[in-house]
Amino acid sequence: MGIISKKDNSTNEIQHIYRQKTDKRILKKNPWRDYRLHFTILVLVIIAMFIGPIEIEITKGVTVSIMPLLYTMVLGLVFYLAKSITWIERKQSRVAEGAMMLFIGILIAKLAVSSGQSMHLLFEMGPALMLQELGHLATILIALPVALLLGFKRETIGMTNSIGREPEVAVVVDKYGFNSPESRGIFALFIVGTMIGTIFISFLTSICVSVLPLHPFAFAMASGVGSASMNAASLGPTLAAFPALKTQIEAFAGFSNLLSFSVGIYIVIFLALPLTEKLYYLLEPKIGRKSVVNQEGDE
Amino acid sequence: MPDLIDGSENISVHGIFNWIFLLAIFSIITVIGNYIGYKHPISDSLVGMGILSVITLLGVWMERKLPFNISSIIYISVMGIILAFPAMPTSEFVSYYVSKVELMSIVTVFLAYVGIGMGKSWNEFKTLGLRAIIITILVIASTYLGSAIVAHIVLVMTGVPV
Repeated sequence: MGIISKKDNSTNEIQHIYRQKTDKRILKKNPWRDYRLHFTILVLVIIAMFIGPIEIEITKGVTVSIMPLLYTMVLGLVFYLAKSITWIERKQSRVAEGAMMLFIGILIAKLAVSSGQSMHLLFEMGPALMLQELGHLATILIALPVALLLGFKRETIGMTNSIGREPEVAVVVDKYGFNSPESRGIFALFIVGTMIGTIFISFLTSICVSVLPLHPFAFAMASGVGSASMNAASLGPTLAAFPALKTQIEAFAGFSNLLSFSVGIYIVIFLALPLTEKLYYLLEPKIGRKSVVNQEGDE
Repeated sequence: MPDLIDGSENISVHGIFNWIFLLAIFSIITVIGNYIGYKHPISDSLVGMGILSVITLLGVWMERKLPFNISSIIYISVMGIILAFPAMPTSEFVSYYVSKVELMSIVTVFLAYVGIGMGKSWNEFKTLGLRAIIITILVIASTYLGSAIVAHIVLVMTGVPV
């Protein structure tokens, strides 16, 4: 009984996050009137497209490719932070965030069209798609001990159970409460992930595709682990490495993202969180350090 | 994070126009980027973006208007899949025009908005410190690799050719 009501609450909340953010920003104002914001973005896109992708060879055989998508993201952030650019401020940032929630739809629709064209692949490779969701649990085994060694306490449970995007944040907040250490942990993960996750996964992918001899479709499925922007950033180097398989790779990314969004939440609720707690109580007395959180300041 | 709570549920005609205008702006920027970066003809990619915009608009509208508690992401995915499914009469038209819009063109524009949108979190990010960054990097890397390796093993075991 307890479990069932918990489940219902969290799914309600998860599915409202996108909607609420979008509605709050878009329906009450006229975001399209902020023409300077959109014009700035047009200029950023033109600059990025003219530069095109850059490939850097670190050592023999290991290339990191930097895609135009990273230039626009980093430049966007720089424009917001730069004091001299007065027309991109907090208000524009909120408009951009609301608009972004709507534009996720375009990205998802494009992936879905590729998925639809390659529907037969789903039947052939369904097992791999389903089981790779379980691969996400690797984070618990690897990141949890390190978090304990670094001196995190119950924050660890929030920080290491999953990749910590919006749906998972909602699950943890729902289960432990907004002001709990677990929620503080996943908020920290969420914020750092927002800032560096997209850039990091793009570099990680471009190194992995040139070093690891894995199946191209495996990289495509793995690109769907996180948020829509992380998915996109990871797809860039994957598509660049296997240009002949463009539609199939996009299709798998679409399927994987859809799966993370629908099934992934239940894996977090029923598998990842219980497993994280178990491992935490097992390891914490052995390798836990003195809490560091108070020195870093509570929220 | 407090931003997540408290949203309005009412949707007016005025609201729908806001969506349409935003999607139009996004489409125009994407089509320009698509032309510069990939040299796809502007008219074809405009049609492609039009199709994607209509799917998106229907998806967000259905999420708010239909009585089921289903995210727009699911509606949009299902509509996209059905429209492009080879057995459907719409398949050829939709697949042709949508393929004229490169995924990377969409993403480049999308991430420009993300970049500006994430500026707000910069101060919170600065206070979090190195420990949180180390954990985040580990979490992302192990989730990604865990997923890729499991997928690879299953693909090889089920005999999918490279």
